[in-house]
Amino acid sequence: MVYQLNNVSVNYSRQTALRNVSCTMEEGKWISVIGQTGAGKSTFVQVLKGLIPHIDGDYLIDQQPVKRDAKGQLKVIPEIGFVFQYPEHQLFETTVFKELAFAPKQQGMSNQQITKSISKILPQLGLSEDILPLAPFQLSGGLKRRVAIASVLMMNPKLLIVDEPTAGLDPISKVALLQLLKKWQQQVNRTLIFVSHQMEDVAEYSDEVIVFHEGCLIGQLDTRTLFLEQSHLLEKIGLSLPESVQLLKLVEELTGEKIQVSSCREQEIFEKVIPVWKARRLQNV
Amino acid sequence: MLTFDHVHFYYKKGQTIINDVNFTIQAGEFVSIVGANGSGKSTVAKLIDGLLLPKKGTVKFQQLDTTNPDELMKIHQQVGFVFQNPEDQFITTTVMDEVLFGLQNIRVPREEMRGRVDTALRAVQMEEYLEAMPHQLSGGQKQRVAIAAILAMQPKMIIFDEATSMLDPQGRKQVLSIMHELHDQGMTIIHITHHMEEVLSAERILLIHEGHLEFDGDPFVFFETMSVEKYQLQLPFAVRLRKTLQLDPPFTVNWKEGIRSQWSIN
Repeated sequence: MVYQLNNVSVNYSRQTALRNVSCTMEEGKWISVIGQTGAGKSTFVQVLKGLIPHIDGDYLIDQQPVKRDAKGQLKVIPEIGFVFQYPEHQLFETTVFKELAFAPKQQGMSNQQITKSISKILPQLGLSEDILPLAPFQLSGGLKRRVAIASVLMMNPKLLIVDEPTAGLDPISKVALLQLLKKWQQQVNRTLIFVSHQMEDVAEYSDEVIVFHEGCLIGQLDTRTLFLEQSHLLEKIGLSLPESVQLLKLVEELTGEKIQVSSCREQEIFEKVIPVWKARRLQNV
Repeated sequence: MLTFDHVHFYYKKGQTIINDVNFTIQAGEFVSIVGANGSGKSTVAKLIDGLLLPKKGTVKFQQLDTTNPDELMKIHQQVGFVFQNPEDQFITTTVMDEVLFGLQNIRVPREEMRGRVDTALRAVQMEEYLEAMPHQLSGGQKQRVAIAAILAMQPKMIIFDEATSMLDPQGRKQVLSIMHELHDQGMTIIHITHHMEEVLSAERILLIHEGHLEFDGDPFVFFETMSVEKYQLQLPFAVRLRKTLQLDPPFTVNWKEGIRSQWSIN
């Protein structure tokens, strides 16, 4: 599915939270949304989910305007999954099974379908069926977070929005969660909107990046173009480059050599940069 | 200044939350506490402040015992706590009231209050926001107000419990530089964090793993000698780079900048 905003603005009583935002989000991409606090990231993803009833401009899904009520207000779009920050705070059931079954049950899914969906979702998030009878609160922070995300994936969202999904997780749990999300996104070929302050994660996982500044969308670029060719956009709004990209640029500066990389992933940058740097060192010796 | 002497803590018998932990922190140190989710880091912090009491062993701050109710109030007055989400700490409608609130609680004489508020807000560069509403500030500004509210009480030690984890890069940088400024002025800082880059600028690391103290020492020794992945941690970028390039340590770190391990190669 293709999601499109045309000249969308959101005004609260005294301030404009989004100003003439236009963008298209195509199927099967990991799209990161970056910007300083208050830049409009949260309002943007809330608009996508239909959480802001009154917007100016057009919101289209697969070229069809999103349905509005008689007053012209948008309604929550159930096909879009939304994982808030610290989603485990919303866990409330007594077992993991009940937690995962809760929303599908409300939507009228049969017990058989629920069990089938649970068996499908658990491995996608690296979870074992052994945890189903456990209370969510018995689990570690990383597992709780995965259960909370699994409960959103149970609804088979057409588009998944995750707002700082790794906040508060230890580094290994963080990497594990991002890798699982990437795997899910690629397996089901859905679009994932990733709101983050961590440039290293944005560089590692994204296909595209949307940049917000003071309520305006100032860029929607593929990740490599943004970090390697349009990095002035980030400088302008006070965001730093991922450290691996800083390394690449420094070695290019030191050697006067252009280093070709196809992505901004740390491993690829290390692989391409290190031989160039070592060769220069040998020359200097 | 702070001593953990064979400290044990659990909620239910048979559980191990904190198991026989021993360490001493001297006045003026900058100590990072690291570990996986659920390892016991925050429990250690709460034991320092007397928010939790040891089941066995003693926690003493300036020779005051947390299990002694008369001494506990004195500990509360000298140990400040800055949490992950500053909004959890806000209860008033202006920045000034927010900073005043703690002073009223510890019964600071009225004539002394305004001076303390101004000094604390100046220290975090928020003096121009005296009349602002806390909830209208940015994440970094809110956290600075939370720090000012603690500073006004003139603590001897401040514990930052993942205080940078919800902030954008600018907010993180602001809060980290304040932590380092306070440390330069002699404040004892305890910084609990999952950001390994921040840990490099500490003077000392305590690693808590499954309730045990597994490492107590220099951050560089920690990253060079420990298998950090075993503890759900990651090497900071600078150390990964150093190891990949096979450069000799120390090659990282701008000690004061805080926000990220500054590295350079030539």
